Amino acid sequence: MRAFDHSAVQSADEAVAALRGQDEASLIAGGADLLSLMKADVVAPAHIIDLKPARDLRGVSVAADGAVRLGALTTLAEIERDEALAERLPILRAAVRDAATPQLRNMATLGGNLMQRNRCWYLRGPYACWQKGGDRCFAREGQNKYHAIFYDGSCVAVHPSDLAPALLALDARVEVVGPAGPRALAIDELLQTPTAERRREATLAADEVIVAVTVPAQPANAHGVYLKLMERQAWAYALVSAAAQLALTEDGRVEQARVVLGGVASAPRRLPAVEALLVGQAVTPELATRAAEVAITGATPLAHNGYKVQMARELTRRAILQVAGAQRDG
Amino acid sequence: MPIRIVTTHLEFEGQVYEQRVVLEGDEPAVWDADAKLGVVGQPVPRVDGRERVTGGAQFTYDVALPGMLIAVGLRSPHPHARVASVNAARAEVAPGVRAVYTRFNTEGLINPNGERPIFAEEVVYQGQEVAVVLAETRQQAIDALRLIAVEYEPLPFVVDPEAALAVEAPHVQTTRENNSIGEDWPKIYERGDVEKGFAEADVIAETRFTTEAALHNSMETHGGVASWDGHTLTLWSSTQNIYGARQQVAAALGLHQNQVHVIKRYLGGGFGSKFDAHNSGLLAAWAAYHLGRPVKYMLSREEENLAAGNRPPSVQTYRIGAKRDGALTAIELRAVGNVGAFGGWFSPVSLPAKEMYLCPNVRATDAPARTNLGTQGSFRAPGVVEGIAGLEVALDNLARELALDPLELRRKNYAPSYQIIEKPYAVKTLREAYDRGAERIGWATRDAEERRYPRGRDSSLRRGVGMASQFWGGDGGPPAQAIAKLLPDGSAVIVTGTQDLGTGTRTVLAQIAAEELGLPLAAVRVELGETEFGVFSPPSGGSMTLASVGPAVRMAAAGARREAMEIVSHLAEAPIDALDVRDGVILNRETGKEMGSLGSFLGQLEGHEVTARGMRGPNAEEVIVRTFGTQFAEVEVDIATGQVRVLRVVAAHDCGRIVNPLTFSSQMEGGIIQGIGMALFEQRIVDERLGVSVNPNFGDYKVPTIRDVPEIEIITVGQPNPFANTLGALGAGEPPIIPTPGAIANAFAHAVGRAPHGLPLTPDRVLALLAE
Repeated sequence: MRAFDHSAVQSADEAVAALRGQDEASLIAGGADLLSLMKADVVAPAHIIDLKPARDLRGVSVAADGAVRLGALTTLAEIERDEALAERLPILRAAVRDAATPQLRNMATLGGNLMQRNRCWYLRGPYACWQKGGDRCFAREGQNKYHAIFYDGSCVAVHPSDLAPALLALDARVEVVGPAGPRALAIDELLQTPTAERRREATLAADEVIVAVTVPAQPANAHGVYLKLMERQAWAYALVSAAAQLALTEDGRVEQARVVLGGVASAPRRLPAVEALLVGQAVTPELATRAAEVAITGATPLAHNGYKVQMARELTRRAILQVAGAQRDG
Repeated sequence: MPIRIVTTHLEFEGQVYEQRVVLEGDEPAVWDADAKLGVVGQPVPRVDGRERVTGGAQFTYDVALPGMLIAVGLRSPHPHARVASVNAARAEVAPGVRAVYTRFNTEGLINPNGERPIFAEEVVYQGQEVAVVLAETRQQAIDALRLIAVEYEPLPFVVDPEAALAVEAPHVQTTRENNSIGEDWPKIYERGDVEKGFAEADVIAETRFTTEAALHNSMETHGGVASWDGHTLTLWSSTQNIYGARQQVAAALGLHQNQVHVIKRYLGGGFGSKFDAHNSGLLAAWAAYHLGRPVKYMLSREEENLAAGNRPPSVQTYRIGAKRDGALTAIELRAVGNVGAFGGWFSPVSLPAKEMYLCPNVRATDAPARTNLGTQGSFRAPGVVEGIAGLEVALDNLARELALDPLELRRKNYAPSYQIIEKPYAVKTLREAYDRGAERIGWATRDAEERRYPRGRDSSLRRGVGMASQFWGGDGGPPAQAIAKLLPDGSAVIVTGTQDLGTGTRTVLAQIAAEELGLPLAAVRVELGETEFGVFSPPSGGSMTLASVGPAVRMAAAGARREAMEIVSHLAEAPIDALDVRDGVILNRETGKEMGSLGSFLGQLEGHEVTARGMRGPNAEEVIVRTFGTQFAEVEVDIATGQVRVLRVVAAHDCGRIVNPLTFSSQMEGGIIQGIGMALFEQRIVDERLGVSVNPNFGDYKVPTIRDVPEIEIITVGQPNPFANTLGALGAGEPPIIPTPGAIANAFAHAVGRAPHGLPLTPDRVLALLAE
């Protein structure tokens, strides 16, 4: 880690002001990702702006209409423990419960979780990879068992967040402030395949700050699940994850569907074709199996991650069936 | 007391060494199965438990001295390159920097074994030392590292062992003729007539099985803190071998051994990787000596995982021939190993094929290759863990082809005696371990429908039960010394020079001494881990510490007790045969009457400490002493996702007398958990195009978490082993890891009906196997 200046801000607006004109500044919240990037010398911000004192960025609130607002500084542990939230959006508790470790969940914040860099070992190691300004992706021809099976850019890393797929399935929006004031963007607008000009997944400008994530009120007949496959029982990133939020009629037909895969692409991968297939249908094992085939259509696995295709298929199938089962049981 | 010099044989990490040792006096009679013992055998909590859990225990990492400099290393990012130049001019004048060491200013600085310079012109693996910065603070040292400009001339490299052995392969070290580790390799062992054995076979099963490089990942990395005061070099070293470290540091600095004091009070794990001072400790000593400042050099996790040893990967190819009834007729094995850049030996992967099962015709080849990767180090039953895994999987493959129960196949081929040379086993209780373990795991019902398909055949969950076994030495041997002192108040100090690896050595040695001295455990204090104040003890490894040092402690304690009782006899004017001491109180043997505390007698003398020395006696030459054990594992496989969970492990082992059931079960559980890591997760992942490891960290190199730990049931089989040593005890450090990966692999095969081609059983491999 290199030496840096440290200052603290009391609000998001102060953070925006502090970031203005600073090329080498970085916000820190929980630091769960930033510190490890700094220790590995992947990033070396000269100025660290500590957002933690901004107390109004913390906490979970539920509006009268059932919409939920999660402050950017809400920790994963707080999301995990919040009973009202778990009652309303069980998918979120499921998403954080197997994320990292209890110690890390106490540190890590919602905003930081969305903004974390990918876990590619070439990004994190001493390699001049494309995301670090180099001219090639080391993983594409190298060791890539944890990498993408859907990719179209110059990088084959996957987004590591557990929350992002779940929030995308909930149609969540990210509230941001910047020099031009506030704006809101969807999860799939915040996280996108990197481009030559923006060699990272998050599309936020350097002087923008996440304030909150809002989840719109879900239909009363909506149910959701988040499923995650790991290489061990704890403290592992998703090999593949699946988030599904389905609204089901009383006779078991899908009214609305949002299905998302994590761990397969540079951003959470929403599956519109799967959703289209499901809507209007009664969930049956056969339908789920067909949907699962659609989910992996177009996958082009790399040398070491062909297994993820099977995982993605199976998790999609299970997620759809489990939601339907939850509706029946509930 | 007259001494004698004897030649004895010591088996250490699967190799037999002949050595000459000094002995004196006679050891006390063996504590046999009938011995009535009060402290030994009790589940005593660790005597240093409070220090360990409160943070009071000082590990090498914790040592901080006034004026101490911090060393940080710069290491090669290349698998093979010539270090053409190192420009450290900017680093040398950076704030806080006191020295930068490179190959250009460290003439004479050689590695602990005296084989080669620490800073070489030609670096031959990713992670090899190129420079070390010494600065006032760690941050200053790290900042200065970035100011060093190294000019590397990359050279051809090879990381695959089979490729490395090919004639046209790039040379790992440019100056060497090939990538073999020596002229007498590969080593081929033969007994009987293998071709004839295969000709007689009704069935021949072929198995290719691979294991990956496993990293020790001791919680405390390698390193040392050194201080030179002009007379004495003190080195706090994270080592399993303080006397070896002393010899190495003295040789490196041209000091007398009496000028070097090595200290290791507490060790944060070693697992076989810390049998010397390590380059890092030697560098700390070198720097402290030359700079006149204390120096600390502890490796980072990444340095540790690149440059501090590993269990070398193996590629094992078996052919096993058997008659229709299961009787083995021939075993052929070729084991290719990847011992890294400087591997100078190969852990005996072939040993199980030679010894585990009765077979008249065996040919086993160990073919290690040097490659441009980090050098292997011994790792908890080196070779034998991998070899048992391969052999036991091969045996299950044979059982499938013969349609025999795997356990029956093993019973059929039970080896009653040692087959490598004709000698009987001192004690072999493996049949009892089979019986008791099989009963506990429910072997008889392992094929039951509801057990194999816990949620029915429509679910993707499959369960299976498998087994594998172990043999190991662990009877210890000389040389090992101890001194027992009885102080005027009747308390005792036991002086050794051994190392507690975290296994509970202090506790079990205190139990042995308390037993022999007739003192309560609280009245005994055990000293270890210091060369200056200790007496010689061997390296702690090979499951030998208890079995080597324990008898020396016992003999010393017996001597001290004898002298103490003579003193009491004089003072009490009672015949010595009429006296006994129990719980620190002198008793009249006949009347049972208490005559006062031991201290009340010793305290009557003017300044006398009773002092006696003990030495570990020679090993039995006429028999082979072994631990034996077997483990059963039950696993659950999700065949749709490739995920494997270990649900249960039943471990039935004979390690002779159990001195402390708590430390014993800790060893068992630790070994099993480490074995689960090797079976399911652990793997150094190498980018073969770049010749580098991409996961030298705790994030991507996955060790088991507490959630991965199954129900573990431990069964102790057998009795105190009278051939082992005067305790009747054998080491328990290595036995539990040996069968674990093989048992899990076989349980997996039972669950899915298909044998794995290797370990670890990560989901990618599992799904690929199931898709075949």
